[in-house]
Amino acid sequence: MDAVLIAGLLAAGIRLAMSIGIAALGEAVSQRSGVINVGVEGIMLVGAFLAAFGALITGSPWVGLALACLGGLLLGALHGWFAIVQRADQIVCGIAIVILGLGLSSFLFRISMGTAPSALPAFRALDLGPLSTLPLIGPVLFGQNILAYIAVLLAITLWFVLARTPVGLAIRACGENPQAAEADGIDVNTVRFGCVLFGGAMAGAGGAYLAIAQINSFVENMVVGRGFIAIACVVFGRWHPLGTLAAALGFGITEAAQIRLQTWYPDVPYQFFVMLPYLLAIGALVFMARSAALPQALGRPFVSDRNL
Amino acid sequence: MDDGHRMIRAFVVAVLAAVAVPSGFLLLAGKAPLATWGALLSYTLGTWVGFSDVLIHAIPLTLIGIGVAVAFRAGIFNLGGDGQLICGAVLAVALAPILGGFEWLGLPIFLVAGFVGGGVIGGLVGWLRARFGANEIIVTIMMNYVALQLLTWLIRGPLQDPLRIFPRSYALAIELQLPIVGGGTRLHAGIIAAALAAGLMQIVISRTTFGFRLAVLGESSGAAVYAGINVARVTVGAMVLSGGFAGLAGAVEIAGVHQRLQDNFAGGFGLEAIAVALMARLHPIAVPLTSVLFGVFYVGSGALQRQMSVPFPLVWIIEGVVILAYLGFVAAAARKAARTA
Repeated sequence: MDAVLIAGLLAAGIRLAMSIGIAALGEAVSQRSGVINVGVEGIMLVGAFLAAFGALITGSPWVGLALACLGGLLLGALHGWFAIVQRADQIVCGIAIVILGLGLSSFLFRISMGTAPSALPAFRALDLGPLSTLPLIGPVLFGQNILAYIAVLLAITLWFVLARTPVGLAIRACGENPQAAEADGIDVNTVRFGCVLFGGAMAGAGGAYLAIAQINSFVENMVVGRGFIAIACVVFGRWHPLGTLAAALGFGITEAAQIRLQTWYPDVPYQFFVMLPYLLAIGALVFMARSAALPQALGRPFVSDRNL
Repeated sequence: MDDGHRMIRAFVVAVLAAVAVPSGFLLLAGKAPLATWGALLSYTLGTWVGFSDVLIHAIPLTLIGIGVAVAFRAGIFNLGGDGQLICGAVLAVALAPILGGFEWLGLPIFLVAGFVGGGVIGGLVGWLRARFGANEIIVTIMMNYVALQLLTWLIRGPLQDPLRIFPRSYALAIELQLPIVGGGTRLHAGIIAAALAAGLMQIVISRTTFGFRLAVLGESSGAAVYAGINVARVTVGAMVLSGGFAGLAGAVEIAGVHQRLQDNFAGGFGLEAIAVALMARLHPIAVPLTSVLFGVFYVGSGALQRQMSVPFPLVWIIEGVVILAYLGFVAAAARKAARTA
């Protein structure tokens, strides 16, 4: 393995990781507050469609991204309303959102665009002048698109907020011990709702990344499991924002590697390489499952003592 | 307003929401909702061809749904119906060439092979959960993608039909195909298997120690340990059954509908089966009824696409909204129970 090869692998890996990473960061916050949303896959699909649609109509990828976040926010609100307010089973509600998201994205796609758009206004790799042309590290560190840098900044910000601020403390308290949180004067369900909204918007943004920063098109059901891999990243990253993003990076690099392996080993059926990220997710769950970082109240609705 | 009225109101709201939301999207697509719903119902419930297609769709859905219900009773989410269906179908088809020598026993062995193929995968998931605590939701979903790749490879490789023109397996011998039971339609004998499975599993769940253990484990794993239940064994057992029924569905689909493995033969029943099991309130005996309901949505949406060019993905909007409406109704019922208590 020479350095050029590794640099290429890392550059592509980062590019392929970010849709998963952005969605996973949102899911991490949601889960830290005690709410699991397995609907990420469906929200990413809706985000991907809205981003492609918005970018195509207005010519601006930023509008596409905003629309995707808004759509994700709405689906997050739907999840919050059922899972938090109605105290419905969070897993089942998430599954409904997966199905609904698949339906919404494909249905709206067919009545608006109909065929996969080409030449979508998309986020391109930044040109940082001499930095981007540096040998090896240029394409890896300075050749990504703007969203990748935003995602890294976001992960650092989230880590800081969760670990060092009163807001972060409140979020963690809601996920670990909601009764104690309420005794401390925290409105548990409001905090949780906010986190679920954030998670929804981020899942939408992750889908947007896929459509207008990675694949630059929209195809029905194009997320193919990335939403579920994002949830695996949260577990693998021990519910830590930086760990979560690092886990997503692992999946991105695996994806980049499997694409290269397909061409290096044409005699091996390519399907076995395509399987690799999915097998990695299973492996990650098996080795990381019994983590002490699991929020203790994850998945359990909270009933306030005040309004009983 | 008393609680009975509240429940009726909650039910009406749920049904109205389930109709109104897809109707809104129909309007957006420029279709008249009333005419569209009319066409959906008249094709699926008003014609034999349509209704038999509903039943054909409901057969694998019932089998997978029963499996989902069994696992869910123990608190385990099996979202891997699609992958387990593929694995069952693959094992059965792989054994098909040697089953010719078994005379009338060939078909039963074919179906059992399907059960085993799905059951092994399900059991593996159960073991990973029991031994390592691996979240079965993600594991089963990931296995769906792995199984799909495996199928894609097999029908272009070891199991491809000898002519090697199309990506599909050899066709099943006529003795291994399920007989047609609906005169003039494609309705096959798999419907008998599905009905038997529903009845049998209802008995297993309500009348056996295993069924009781499932319920205790589903209530809380702490209580299960306290009651002296071997949690790992019950978890693996539940998932073997759950995966097994999905695998059986795979073998039934091959023997009853497709006669061979091909791309896209696994029609995405897995998530639908979750809804089906849930709305049957995890009673296997009720799963065939909810499966028919979802069959109406599925086959009806297909007909709408052909007759009125309504985009087929409407079906997933309907399904998603129906599940949410159901959740809302159940939540209202639970609040009523809490007040009464």
